Amino acid sequence: MGSALVRRRSTVRIERTQSAVSYAILLAFALFVIFPFYWMIVTSFKGETQMRSLVSMFWPSPFVSENYDHLFAKTEFVSWYGNSIIVAVSSTFLATAVGTLGAYALARLKFLGRAFMASTVLITYLVPPSILFIPLYAQIRNLGMADSLTGLIAAYPSFTVPFVTWLLMGYFESIPVELEESAMIDGATRFGAFRRVILPLAAPGLLASALYAFTQAWNEFLYALVFITNVRLRTLPVGLSTFITGDVYGWGYLMAGAVLTTVPVIAAYIYLQKYMVEGLTAGSVKG
Amino acid sequence: MATLHPSSPPLPSGERVGVRGAYHPEVSPRPRAGLEHTLRRVLGPDYRMGFLFVAPIVVLVLALVAYPFCYAVYLSLTRKYVGMPPVFVGLENYVRLTYDGFFQRAVINSFVFTFGSVAIKTVLGMGMALVLTSRIRFRSFWTGVLLIPWVAPTVVSALNFLWIYDYSLGVLNYLLVHVFGVLKQGVGWLSEPGTAMASVIGVNVWRGFPFFGISFLAGMKAIPGELYEAAAVDGATVLQRFRYVTLPGIRNIVMIVLLLSTIWTFNDFAIVYILTKGGPGGATMVLPVLTYEIAFGAQRLGEAIAVALYMLPALAFVIIVLSNYMRKGRVR
Repeated sequence: MGSALVRRRSTVRIERTQSAVSYAILLAFALFVIFPFYWMIVTSFKGETQMRSLVSMFWPSPFVSENYDHLFAKTEFVSWYGNSIIVAVSSTFLATAVGTLGAYALARLKFLGRAFMASTVLITYLVPPSILFIPLYAQIRNLGMADSLTGLIAAYPSFTVPFVTWLLMGYFESIPVELEESAMIDGATRFGAFRRVILPLAAPGLLASALYAFTQAWNEFLYALVFITNVRLRTLPVGLSTFITGDVYGWGYLMAGAVLTTVPVIAAYIYLQKYMVEGLTAGSVKG
Repeated sequence: MATLHPSSPPLPSGERVGVRGAYHPEVSPRPRAGLEHTLRRVLGPDYRMGFLFVAPIVVLVLALVAYPFCYAVYLSLTRKYVGMPPVFVGLENYVRLTYDGFFQRAVINSFVFTFGSVAIKTVLGMGMALVLTSRIRFRSFWTGVLLIPWVAPTVVSALNFLWIYDYSLGVLNYLLVHVFGVLKQGVGWLSEPGTAMASVIGVNVWRGFPFFGISFLAGMKAIPGELYEAAAVDGATVLQRFRYVTLPGIRNIVMIVLLLSTIWTFNDFAIVYILTKGGPGGATMVLPVLTYEIAFGAQRLGEAIAVALYMLPALAFVIIVLSNYMRKGRVR
């Protein structure tokens, strides 16, 4: 009795130490992860004089909006924002529509070439853009779509569609076949069963893949850098990268632009974290 | 996906289950003589809807991946300048690259960058997963916070670090010199050959380790708790449990994540391009940046594509191994 009590006490002590260590490590990870964002936000509210002087390094003093003013008044930032929205939203709709239909067919239907196409989608997802961007650029230019947002919207499915399809195949495969079968026995057509039974059940997957398609298109850099030469037609990542001047002055409005570029994806992520975390692991790994 | 539990299917209940054998155009095709019957037998019972649904993907894959890829292979066998017709030269580009010192250096840099990053990401990711499976409160909050670098735009992160690494006004030097007093003088993190590669790897690690962590975490969660209990009963220490229960349990996921990240890291363009453009003096020149520079700086497209495709056999091998692992992971 007595020794059991002693043992329990020592277990409690070990557990406390363990959780203290866990929290310490967690805190270190969190600082490492958060600090660059903190620094970005702080910088975006610092005035030029403060930045040159290393005064009050970790807090803006005074708080100024001059970087944001400059961004809106003196650069093409607003156009870039619009461009990024157009490209990312179109890509999202395109990828989700094409990917949903394809994934359902590849996960469920029986037809010649299904296994081959399923492998092709996976391999396409793994082929990196860095070996495709030059021929893709040549092709987009031949089609007369170079230096236009249409060109980007046409090219982005090369990575969004395989990813969305692969992710959704996993979702569809996880839905029991019996649900469809019983719907069809009740008189639904195959398409009716897909639309009324399977799609609603796969809604979390659709949401996750749409978010990832949006994020991928919003963040894309290489194609946008290569395809677009007109300053007004740049997307945010390329536009921001042209703010690198080597001068101190540029950093304030560059960080202001970085803040505004990060906001949509982080906001969507915070709001829909659960789906995105599930989707992230589902995309590569059996969940 | 264990995440989906369709608990109560919103279906009219099956009072007509008894008529399973009755005619239904989709479930059991009426044995029809002639063409349709043959088509179904050859092309599969769902061939109409199947072909229709897959057609857009087939078109996109052919137009955006297969054709450009073949065109790339062809161009790499030519001498092609921007605005001029290509001239077929066989393997000349590849042969010349093989003996080109700058290219050789870029290959070595790419391997250092890739394996350095992947190794550190594996260690940090394992740490992150272990901490997140330990006894902590607000687990999903912490998971969410640690995943942020993975969601944030890569270019923004690269720009943030460009500013953090800045020699005269960057916060890293400020911290090391003025706050912690570790260094007497700031370091030109990205401008000195000795630190540039490590600094660039640091950014790739910062961005990529959460993916490792979250994937390992998913793998660890899938290990049945009884295995740990049994190991504890047998007197296994914490380390032994990790070695003999956790590691074998997440082996497949670790393989998938390592290979996936190897491909992504080897082909990472944005981080290196934004931070150093391959400098100083080629110290961080990796193959994707070199491809871009030769194509759009020097305007030699054939040679640029040869740079991009030089590692194709290795890449193809990794892709095939990886896709087998990923398909295996899906079969339940």
